Amino acid sequence: MKIIKSLLLLIALTIGTTAIVMYSGIVDVAADEPHSDFVYWLLEETRKNSIKKAAQHIQVPNLEDPELLLMGGADYEFMCSSCHLKPGQSQSDMSVGLYPAPPNLAVSNDEHKGHEHGNDIQAERNNFWVIKHGIKASGMPAWGKTHDDQRIWAMVAFIKRLPTLSPEQYQILTAVE
Amino acid sequence: MKTSLLKTVSKIALVLIPAITFSMAATAHDPKMHVKKAGKADCSKMSHSKMDMKDPVVIAMMKKCKKQAKAAHAKMDHSKISKKMDHNKTKKIDDKSNKKEGHQHH
Repeated sequence: MKIIKSLLLLIALTIGTTAIVMYSGIVDVAADEPHSDFVYWLLEETRKNSIKKAAQHIQVPNLEDPELLLMGGADYEFMCSSCHLKPGQSQSDMSVGLYPAPPNLAVSNDEHKGHEHGNDIQAERNNFWVIKHGIKASGMPAWGKTHDDQRIWAMVAFIKRLPTLSPEQYQILTAVE
Repeated sequence: MKTSLLKTVSKIALVLIPAITFSMAATAHDPKMHVKKAGKADCSKMSHSKMDMKDPVVIAMMKKCKKQAKAAHAKMDHSKISKKMDHNKTKKIDDKSNKKEGHQHH
Protein backbone atom coordinates (compact mmCIF):
# COMPACT_ATOMS: atom_id res chain seq x y z
CA MET A 1 0.00 0.00 0.00
CA LYS A 2 2.87 2.33 0.91
CA ILE A 3 4.56 1.64 -2.43
CA ILE A 4 1.37 2.48 -4.35
CA LYS A 5 1.01 5.76 -2.45
CA SER A 6 4.64 6.68 -3.22
CA LEU A 7 4.17 5.80 -6.87
CA LEU A 8 1.02 7.91 -7.14
CA LEU A 9 2.82 10.81 -5.44
CA LEU A 10 5.72 10.48 -7.90
CA ILE A 11 3.34 10.46 -10.90
CA ALA A 12 1.48 13.51 -9.53
CA LEU A 13 4.79 15.33 -8.97
CA THR A 14 5.99 14.53 -12.52
CA ILE A 15 2.73 15.71 -14.09
CA GLY A 16 2.73 18.82 -11.88
CA THR A 17 6.34 19.74 -12.76
CA THR A 18 5.68 19.19 -16.48
CA ALA A 19 2.58 21.39 -16.30
CA ILE A 20 4.49 24.16 -14.48
CA VAL A 21 7.29 24.08 -17.10
CA MET A 22 4.76 24.09 -19.95
CA TYR A 23 2.42 26.82 -18.73
CA SER A 24 4.84 29.16 -16.91
CA GLY A 25 6.61 30.10 -20.17
CA ILE A 26 10.07 29.70 -18.64
CA VAL A 27 11.36 27.64 -21.58
CA ASP A 28 13.11 29.89 -24.10
CA VAL A 29 12.16 28.73 -27.61
CA ALA A 30 14.13 31.45 -29.45
CA ALA A 31 16.29 30.05 -32.25
CA ASP A 32 19.09 32.49 -31.41
CA GLU A 33 19.37 31.12 -27.85
CA PRO A 34 21.08 27.69 -27.92
CA HIS A 35 20.05 24.73 -25.77
CA SER A 36 22.13 23.80 -22.74
CA ASP A 37 24.75 21.15 -23.48
CA PHE A 38 22.63 18.49 -21.75
CA VAL A 39 19.44 19.29 -23.68
CA TYR A 40 21.39 19.51 -26.95
CA TRP A 41 22.97 16.09 -26.31
CA LEU A 42 19.58 14.63 -25.37
CA LEU A 43 17.90 15.87 -28.56
CA GLU A 44 20.86 15.05 -30.79
CA GLU A 45 21.16 11.46 -29.54
CA THR A 46 17.40 10.97 -29.88
CA ARG A 47 17.44 12.29 -33.45
CA LYS A 48 20.50 10.29 -34.47
CA ASN A 49 19.22 6.97 -33.12
CA SER A 50 15.71 7.51 -34.43
CA ILE A 51 16.98 8.09 -38.00
CA LYS A 52 19.42 5.18 -37.79
CA LYS A 53 16.68 2.78 -36.67
CA ALA A 54 14.11 3.99 -39.21
CA ALA A 55 16.57 3.89 -42.12
CA GLN A 56 18.43 0.66 -41.38
CA HIS A 57 16.53 -1.57 -43.84
CA ILE A 58 16.37 0.84 -46.77
CA GLN A 59 17.82 -0.67 -49.96
CA VAL A 60 20.33 1.69 -51.54
CA PRO A 61 20.26 1.64 -55.38
CA ASN A 62 23.25 2.27 -57.66
CA LEU A 63 24.01 5.98 -57.21
CA GLU A 64 26.73 6.20 -59.88
CA ASP A 65 24.35 6.97 -62.77
CA PRO A 66 25.26 10.39 -64.29
CA GLU A 67 21.55 11.04 -64.96
CA LEU A 68 20.91 10.93 -61.21
CA LEU A 69 23.51 13.66 -60.71
CA LEU A 70 21.78 15.88 -63.27
CA MET A 71 18.34 15.31 -61.80
CA GLY A 72 19.52 15.64 -58.21
CA GLY A 73 21.69 18.67 -58.94
CA ALA A 74 18.82 20.83 -60.14
CA ASP A 75 16.67 19.83 -57.16
CA TYR A 76 19.51 20.39 -54.67
CA GLU A 77 20.12 23.91 -55.98
CA PHE A 78 16.50 24.93 -55.53
CA MET A 79 15.47 22.92 -52.49
CA CYS A 80 18.57 22.47 -50.34
CA SER A 81 21.42 24.86 -51.14
CA SER A 82 19.98 27.87 -49.30
CA CYS A 83 20.38 25.96 -45.99
CA HIS A 84 22.95 23.25 -46.76
CA LEU A 85 25.23 25.49 -48.86
CA LYS A 86 27.22 24.81 -52.04
CA PRO A 87 30.91 24.61 -53.01
CA GLY A 88 32.72 27.86 -52.29
CA GLN A 89 30.07 29.05 -49.82
CA SER A 90 30.64 28.96 -46.05
CA GLN A 91 27.34 30.40 -44.80
CA SER A 92 23.94 31.80 -45.79
CA ASP A 93 21.12 33.63 -44.00
CA MET A 94 19.39 30.29 -43.45
CA SER A 95 22.46 28.36 -42.30
CA VAL A 96 23.23 31.09 -39.76
CA GLY A 97 19.66 31.68 -38.61
CA LEU A 98 18.34 28.15 -38.23
CA TYR A 99 18.72 26.26 -34.96
CA PRO A 100 19.89 23.54 -34.88
CA ALA A 101 22.21 24.73 -37.68
CA PRO A 102 21.71 22.70 -40.89
CA PRO A 103 24.82 20.68 -41.77
CA ASN A 104 27.07 22.02 -44.53
CA LEU A 105 26.70 19.29 -47.17
CA ALA A 106 29.35 20.84 -49.42
CA VAL A 107 32.06 19.54 -47.08
CA SER A 108 32.86 15.87 -46.45
CA ASN A 109 31.24 13.90 -43.61
CA ASP A 110 34.55 13.81 -41.74
CA GLU A 111 34.53 17.60 -41.46
CA HIS A 112 31.08 17.69 -39.79
CA LYS A 113 31.70 18.51 -36.17
CA GLY A 114 29.74 16.95 -33.32
CA HIS A 115 28.19 13.95 -35.05
CA GLU A 116 29.13 10.80 -36.93
CA HIS A 117 27.56 9.38 -40.08
CA GLY A 118 28.50 5.71 -39.81
CA ASN A 119 29.63 3.96 -42.99
CA ASP A 120 28.82 5.23 -46.49
CA ILE A 121 25.83 2.95 -47.02
CA GLN A 122 24.28 3.97 -43.70
CA ALA A 123 24.94 7.66 -44.51
CA GLU A 124 23.07 7.24 -47.82
CA ARG A 125 20.18 5.47 -46.10
CA ASN A 126 20.03 8.26 -43.51
CA ASN A 127 20.12 10.97 -46.18
CA PHE A 128 17.29 9.30 -48.10
CA TRP A 129 15.15 8.93 -44.99
CA VAL A 130 15.76 12.51 -43.81
CA ILE A 131 15.00 14.01 -47.24
CA LYS A 132 11.84 11.91 -47.58
CA HIS A 133 10.44 12.29 -44.07
CA GLY A 134 12.02 15.51 -42.77
CA ILE A 135 12.82 16.16 -39.10
CA LYS A 136 10.30 17.59 -36.66
CA ALA A 137 10.90 21.14 -35.33
CA SER A 138 14.20 21.49 -37.17
CA GLY A 139 13.25 23.32 -40.37
CA MET A 140 13.89 20.17 -42.45
CA PRO A 141 10.78 19.50 -44.60
CA ALA A 142 9.44 16.09 -45.64
CA TRP A 143 10.14 16.27 -49.38
CA GLY A 144 8.56 12.83 -49.82
CA LYS A 145 5.14 14.46 -49.77
CA THR A 146 5.79 16.13 -53.13
CA HIS A 147 8.68 14.12 -54.63
CA ASP A 148 8.87 10.43 -55.58
CA ASP A 149 11.61 8.08 -54.37
CA GLN A 150 13.56 8.33 -57.62
CA ARG A 151 13.91 12.11 -57.27
CA ILE A 152 14.97 11.69 -53.64
CA TRP A 153 17.60 9.06 -54.56
CA ALA A 154 18.87 11.48 -57.22
CA MET A 155 19.38 14.08 -54.49
CA VAL A 156 21.17 11.48 -52.35
CA ALA A 157 23.45 10.67 -55.31
CA PHE A 158 24.19 14.36 -55.83
CA ILE A 159 24.85 14.96 -52.11
CA LYS A 160 27.27 12.00 -52.13
CA ARG A 161 29.42 13.74 -54.75
CA LEU A 162 28.82 17.31 -53.57
CA PRO A 163 31.93 17.63 -51.32
CA THR A 164 34.14 16.70 -54.28
CA LEU A 165 32.70 19.32 -56.65
CA SER A 166 34.33 22.64 -57.54
CA PRO A 167 32.07 25.73 -57.80
CA GLU A 168 32.35 25.48 -61.62
CA GLN A 169 31.32 21.82 -61.69
CA TYR A 170 28.45 22.60 -59.31
CA GLN A 171 27.22 25.39 -61.61
CA ILE A 172 27.15 23.10 -64.64
CA LEU A 173 25.45 20.19 -62.87
CA THR A 174 22.76 22.33 -61.24
CA ALA A 175 21.89 24.56 -64.21
CA VAL A 176 18.63 23.79 -65.99
CA GLU A 177 18.80 24.03 -69.77
CA MET B 1 -30.80 36.97 -41.09
CA LYS B 2 -28.78 34.10 -39.69
CA THR B 3 -29.80 31.73 -42.48
CA SER B 4 -28.78 34.20 -45.19
CA LEU B 5 -25.40 34.67 -43.50
CA LEU B 6 -24.97 30.90 -43.32
CA LYS B 7 -25.86 30.58 -47.00
CA THR B 8 -23.30 33.26 -47.95
CA VAL B 9 -20.57 31.60 -45.87
CA SER B 10 -21.32 28.18 -47.36
CA LYS B 11 -21.24 29.65 -50.89
CA ILE B 12 -17.87 31.28 -50.22
CA ALA B 13 -16.58 28.01 -48.77
CA LEU B 14 -17.83 26.12 -51.84
CA VAL B 15 -15.81 28.42 -54.10
CA LEU B 16 -12.73 28.83 -51.91
CA ILE B 17 -12.08 25.23 -50.84
CA PRO B 18 -11.78 23.77 -54.39
CA ALA B 19 -9.85 26.85 -55.54
CA ILE B 20 -7.28 26.50 -52.76
CA THR B 21 -7.04 22.72 -53.25
CA PHE B 22 -6.42 23.04 -56.99
CA SER B 23 -3.91 25.88 -56.59
CA MET B 24 -1.96 23.80 -54.03
CA ALA B 25 -1.88 20.86 -56.40
CA ALA B 26 -0.47 23.15 -59.06
CA THR B 27 2.37 24.28 -56.78
CA ALA B 28 3.59 20.69 -56.17
CA HIS B 29 6.55 21.39 -58.29
CA ASP B 30 7.89 19.88 -61.43
CA PRO B 31 11.56 20.32 -62.50
CA LYS B 32 10.29 22.49 -65.37
CA MET B 33 9.26 25.09 -62.81
CA HIS B 34 12.94 25.69 -62.14
CA VAL B 35 13.60 26.78 -65.69
CA LYS B 36 12.75 30.44 -65.22
CA LYS B 37 14.98 30.82 -62.19
CA ALA B 38 17.96 28.79 -63.35
CA GLY B 39 20.83 30.10 -65.40
CA LYS B 40 22.48 28.21 -68.24
CA ALA B 41 25.42 25.92 -67.59
CA ASP B 42 28.71 27.75 -68.03
CA CYS B 43 30.50 25.09 -70.04
CA SER B 44 33.38 27.38 -71.06
CA LYS B 45 35.10 26.68 -67.73
CA MET B 46 35.36 22.93 -68.32
CA SER B 47 39.01 21.92 -68.64
CA HIS B 48 39.09 18.68 -70.64
CA SER B 49 42.76 17.95 -69.88
CA LYS B 50 42.17 17.28 -66.18
CA MET B 51 39.02 15.20 -66.67
CA ASP B 52 38.58 11.53 -65.91
CA MET B 53 36.16 10.48 -68.64
CA LYS B 54 34.88 7.55 -66.55
CA ASP B 55 33.86 9.75 -63.61
CA PRO B 56 30.02 10.06 -63.38
CA VAL B 57 30.41 13.79 -62.57
CA VAL B 58 32.39 14.36 -65.78
CA ILE B 59 29.95 12.27 -67.84
CA ALA B 60 27.02 14.23 -66.37
CA MET B 61 28.69 17.57 -67.15
CA MET B 62 29.47 16.49 -70.72
CA LYS B 63 25.85 15.41 -71.21
CA LYS B 64 24.56 18.73 -69.86
CA CYS B 65 26.86 20.81 -72.06
CA LYS B 66 26.21 18.68 -75.15
CA LYS B 67 22.45 19.03 -74.67
CA GLN B 68 22.80 22.78 -74.17
CA ALA B 69 24.95 23.15 -77.28
CA LYS B 70 22.45 21.13 -79.34
CA ALA B 71 19.59 23.32 -78.10
CA ALA B 72 21.53 26.46 -79.02
CA HIS B 73 22.30 25.03 -82.48
CA ALA B 74 18.64 24.12 -83.05
CA LYS B 75 17.65 27.72 -82.40
CA MET B 76 19.96 28.80 -85.21
CA ASP B 77 18.55 26.30 -87.77
CA HIS B 78 18.82 28.20 -91.05
CA SER B 79 16.82 25.68 -93.05
CA LYS B 80 13.78 26.50 -90.93
CA ILE B 81 14.33 30.22 -91.41
CA SER B 82 14.53 29.88 -95.22
CA LYS B 83 11.35 27.73 -95.25
CA LYS B 84 9.44 30.42 -93.43
CA MET B 85 10.50 33.07 -95.93
CA ASP B 86 7.96 33.34 -98.76
CA HIS B 87 10.06 34.04 -101.81
CA ASN B 88 6.99 34.43 -104.06
CA LYS B 89 6.02 37.54 -102.15
CA THR B 90 9.52 38.97 -102.39
CA LYS B 91 9.40 38.39 -106.17
CA LYS B 92 6.08 40.23 -106.42
CA ILE B 93 7.50 43.11 -104.42
CA ASP B 94 10.51 43.15 -106.71
CA ASP B 95 8.24 43.14 -109.78
CA LYS B 96 6.15 45.99 -108.39
CA SER B 97 9.21 48.08 -107.61
CA ASN B 98 10.61 47.33 -111.07
CA LYS B 99 7.29 48.38 -112.68
CA LYS B 100 7.28 51.60 -110.69
CA GLU B 101 10.81 52.29 -111.75
CA GLY B 102 9.74 51.49 -115.33
CA HIS B 103 6.85 54.02 -115.15
CA GLN B 104 9.18 56.65 -113.84
CA HIS B 105 11.45 56.13 -116.85
CA HIS B 106 8.55 56.70 -119.21
